[in-house]
Amino acid sequence: MAHSDGVLVGTPAPTVAVAGHKRRFFSGENPWLWLSPALIFLLLYSLGPLLYNIYLSFHEFNARRKEFLFVEFENWTTLFSDSRFQNAISITLQYVVIALIVQVLLGILIAVLLDARPFGVGLMQTLIILPMVTAPTVAGMLFRLLNHSEFGYVNFLFERAGIVTRAEPLLGGSGENALLGVLIVEVWQWTPFVVLIVLAGLKSIPTEVVEASQVDGANWWQRFWRIKLPLLSTVLTIAILFRLVDLFRVFDYVVILTSGGPALRTESLSYYGYVNTFQQVNFGYGATLGVFVMVLVWVVAFSYIRIFRVKW
Amino acid sequence: MNVIERQKRLYVAKAGELLRKGKMSRRDFLRAAGLAGFAFSAAGMMRMDRAAAAPIARAPKDARDRLMAQDEMNTWLQEVGSRFSGTTIRLSSESTAPSQITSGLIADNFTALTGIEVIWEQTPLDQVLSKIVQDTATESASNDIYYLDQSWLGRFVNDITDVRATYISNSGSDLNMPGYNFDDFIPELVPAISEYQGTLVGVPFDIPIFIMSYRQDVFEQLGLEVPTDMPGYLAAAQAIQEAGLTNEDGTQIYGTVGQWRTGHYALQCDWTAWLWSHGGSHTNAEGQAVINDEAAVAGAEYMMALAPLMPAGATTFDWSGQGDFVGQGGAGIVINWGEFFPGWDNPETSKVAGLMMPAPLPMEAALRTREECAFDETPGIGHQGGSCLALSKYSTNQDAAWVFLQWATSPETMALAAEQSNTPVRQSTFDDPRIVEKAVPVAGTTRHFGEILTAIKSRMGTEPHFPAWADVSSTGAVIPTELGLMVTGEQDITTTLNNINAAIQEGIDEG
Amino acid sequence: MAAVNTSNTDLRIAQRQHHRQQFISRLLLTLVTGAIVFVFIFPIWFWFTASFKTFTGIFQLPPQLLGFETTDTWWSVVIGGRPYVEAVREAVGATAGTGGAGTVGYYTVPFLLNSVFYAVASTLVTLLIATPTAYALSRFTMRGKQNVVFFILSTRFMPAFAAVLPITLIYRALEIDDTRFGLVMAHVLINLPIATLLLKSFFDDVPSELDDAAMVDGCTRFGAFWRIIVRYVAPGMAAAAVLCLIFSWNEFIFSLYLIRIPDLRPVSVTFATFDSSSGGTEWGFLAAAGTAAMIPVFIFILFVQRNLIRGLTLGAVRG
Repeated sequence: MAHSDGVLVGTPAPTVAVAGHKRRFFSGENPWLWLSPALIFLLLYSLGPLLYNIYLSFHEFNARRKEFLFVEFENWTTLFSDSRFQNAISITLQYVVIALIVQVLLGILIAVLLDARPFGVGLMQTLIILPMVTAPTVAGMLFRLLNHSEFGYVNFLFERAGIVTRAEPLLGGSGENALLGVLIVEVWQWTPFVVLIVLAGLKSIPTEVVEASQVDGANWWQRFWRIKLPLLSTVLTIAILFRLVDLFRVFDYVVILTSGGPALRTESLSYYGYVNTFQQVNFGYGATLGVFVMVLVWVVAFSYIRIFRVKW
Repeated sequence: MNVIERQKRLYVAKAGELLRKGKMSRRDFLRAAGLAGFAFSAAGMMRMDRAAAAPIARAPKDARDRLMAQDEMNTWLQEVGSRFSGTTIRLSSESTAPSQITSGLIADNFTALTGIEVIWEQTPLDQVLSKIVQDTATESASNDIYYLDQSWLGRFVNDITDVRATYISNSGSDLNMPGYNFDDFIPELVPAISEYQGTLVGVPFDIPIFIMSYRQDVFEQLGLEVPTDMPGYLAAAQAIQEAGLTNEDGTQIYGTVGQWRTGHYALQCDWTAWLWSHGGSHTNAEGQAVINDEAAVAGAEYMMALAPLMPAGATTFDWSGQGDFVGQGGAGIVINWGEFFPGWDNPETSKVAGLMMPAPLPMEAALRTREECAFDETPGIGHQGGSCLALSKYSTNQDAAWVFLQWATSPETMALAAEQSNTPVRQSTFDDPRIVEKAVPVAGTTRHFGEILTAIKSRMGTEPHFPAWADVSSTGAVIPTELGLMVTGEQDITTTLNNINAAIQEGIDEG
Repeated sequence: MAAVNTSNTDLRIAQRQHHRQQFISRLLLTLVTGAIVFVFIFPIWFWFTASFKTFTGIFQLPPQLLGFETTDTWWSVVIGGRPYVEAVREAVGATAGTGGAGTVGYYTVPFLLNSVFYAVASTLVTLLIATPTAYALSRFTMRGKQNVVFFILSTRFMPAFAAVLPITLIYRALEIDDTRFGLVMAHVLINLPIATLLLKSFFDDVPSELDDAAMVDGCTRFGAFWRIIVRYVAPGMAAAAVLCLIFSWNEFIFSLYLIRIPDLRPVSVTFATFDSSSGGTEWGFLAAAGTAAMIPVFIFILFVQRNLIRGLTLGAVRG
């Protein structure tokens, strides 16, 4: 192409690569130069909000005087005595664990089935992506209808199957099944993400490996369990990591389907933070919750990476 | 030709030269040209300046035409308004019928005559408050006009310009629209939705208010009398529930349905009707919270008696969920926002077109007066959720904004909005022959307007408007959350009311 | 001879049986897979049919998925730009809108185009930044690489509700609030982590000998990256692009707060106004607009389908 090196990307065209010598800063061999656009961008965008939230978490907004008053650790001490916060943690954890397990198992199942090449596999692969293409706000509205206690087909089927009752539908009643009602949307929309990634992983398993095991007389289950699954583990760890990070911040479905109810049965951390910041104008407490969620995700992701030895 | 356009052409021309000289394959050339096209048009779209834009949606032609026939107003707009030509007015409001209709009329009338651009952002109610809080906290001029829900009046009273003192009372000023007639706004409404402790915060804009509606066919079939008092209302709902009727398509007809979405402001609205109609109130004359007294308990008990007469889904229905449900024939009798009534008469969207009847609200079992409460709280079963348009104190275009504000709330603009079944706030709109004419069962009917006017004039309930009120009553806040625990049976009435009382007291003390 | 013949026939029979068995098992597989995929597609089919149903038809239980009474009201307004009032007038002869917010303002095409712009622009910018970053992370040994990657990932940890206010304030100070540029950059923020990690693992799959060979041939490091290596990761870039598009297309809260000019809104925000407190929820419009909003991304996925599955391997499985 006519427009050559560097101009488009904004990285200065490197002159001579001096291998083995001390790297000059402006050389193509300096990794930091390559990383700088992304790192500068991410620092700009993440550091500001992070510092802002940390600052706010030690202040509270006085609506009348319209100023932030320094309150020391008050927000943080409130946090740990706040029963709604504890409820939100418990709800969020339930949500993350259930959604993750179902999405991963179901995702693997669908991917394996698709990998066995049924008729019309191309079409099915395309169609299964569709739920992901629905904006979560729209998906929420769609399931507000499908999970509706009176007009909802999904609720109707669940009632027939005896999973929910007339008095305790997916959305409504005292909220016994409300978390399930929200999880249905989550599983519906993001299982395809796991399917895609696992399918890609399956496709990249060298055929020789599979054929060799066939010669050994291993049956389908053995082949899957002993050969394919271990090879998939790396893809899976990354898929799970991304789901984990997003699941902890569940918000959209809650706002649209339940507003955290009935009776706080679906109030997630993100939703609780949202109402504090945006509805009750408790900017300080909202920011405290925001920082908490971030730290929580940080710790979970970090331990996950350590435990599963994810190497980059 | 602007800079970007020129650069784009230069770039493509250069690539073309390379192609001719054989230094570039045809495929590469096409690719480069295509890329250039996209990249530069993208750059064009991403210009750093903020696009000032006309509203996309326009009102129907006959409405626009009628506005153009308002000679007196139009002449004034042309003469006075055009002084501010080139100014941009911004406001942010809830996406409700009046907002949508009025904004659809701007381009062809207001902007065409005055040259003032208007950017009107519409979002669900949840988001309007946070945006206004942001603006006022930073004293930012980013909105010239605030759309204020009645529950926020106390909070923002210091962030607005009192248009009565600044403009209306200054009778010599030509900035006042001829024929605007502020006294035309229904007198009972002004203190309820646009004043805080006597200060005019804004101009009345919208008045959703509770009315009672019932299924005429169900009442006839069961031989029920239209209830006139609180026990009667409960009894009627119970009778319908016990009858176990179904609609033609087999769906059940419940006794009633609430807007009981737990944790949502809608639940708070529903509850106040029962609170007030049993003699309770949030505050007493001394400005103390009294939400856990006997009257309040009676109201909550009444509310809980309605619970078994509703579909289980009611605890996730907000006002729309409730309105939809009635429209699909799900409830025999209901007290809810009058705005949903016209939709029920639309055979396209409703299964009960022509079957719902508006009726006077049942008499309260006991009722406190406004004087027995504080912070403008006015008990009454007809809970109102009105709103007003207020002029921002931080606006740098106050005069232009005032011109627009008058236009948006002028008699003719409001009549046009009402004709699209929006509830009027002006007496003249109620009396308008075009509005009266539509008091028949037809899509966008106005046959419930009589009940609405009665509710406004004599049955209206108004929340206490102390500054921190929104912090305890809005979605996710203490009141709807505690009520959510109550209606789902997680928590008993006494505990609930005590918790709410403490929260309200704390809100009041915050000042 | 006879014996051989018999065994030949046996073999053929056995083969045929084998084929038949294979066919039957593949058919079974298809049925099972099809059933599961159907469950996932059902809500979308329901949504799609709802967009042609009459309003009351939408609530029917069990839903009619075929052969229902159809109407073009929703699509003619959402895509055709017909004022709703006119549609209603035609249908019921009344000179008014309905009780809902449904008088004007359901025309969705401009917002779809906005969304296309935001999605495409932010995807391009994301790839432009993520590709060299991913290359560097893949090729260079450096101290603290693990931490750098974790930092990149961690920018996705902050819940949107906490990030949106400070970014709004920063934008206002820089006067890039209410600009397309500002929102595109916010979407880049959302997408950069996943795109970088995805591409990085893809670069890992390309042997670094290729770089060395290119540099021996006189390419600079950047030349080797730009002219040679990038081509090998094209499928990975397609996969990353799909995910970026999807996340940008679906994003709601940043769009809501950073863009306050209605004309610049993406569809995800426009939908939120369909549920209004002054009338019932506009299910018909939601169904039509929701279905319409799937189409652009879906078309893109069709185009890159082949690359998508290959590209999403995340370079993970290597022996």
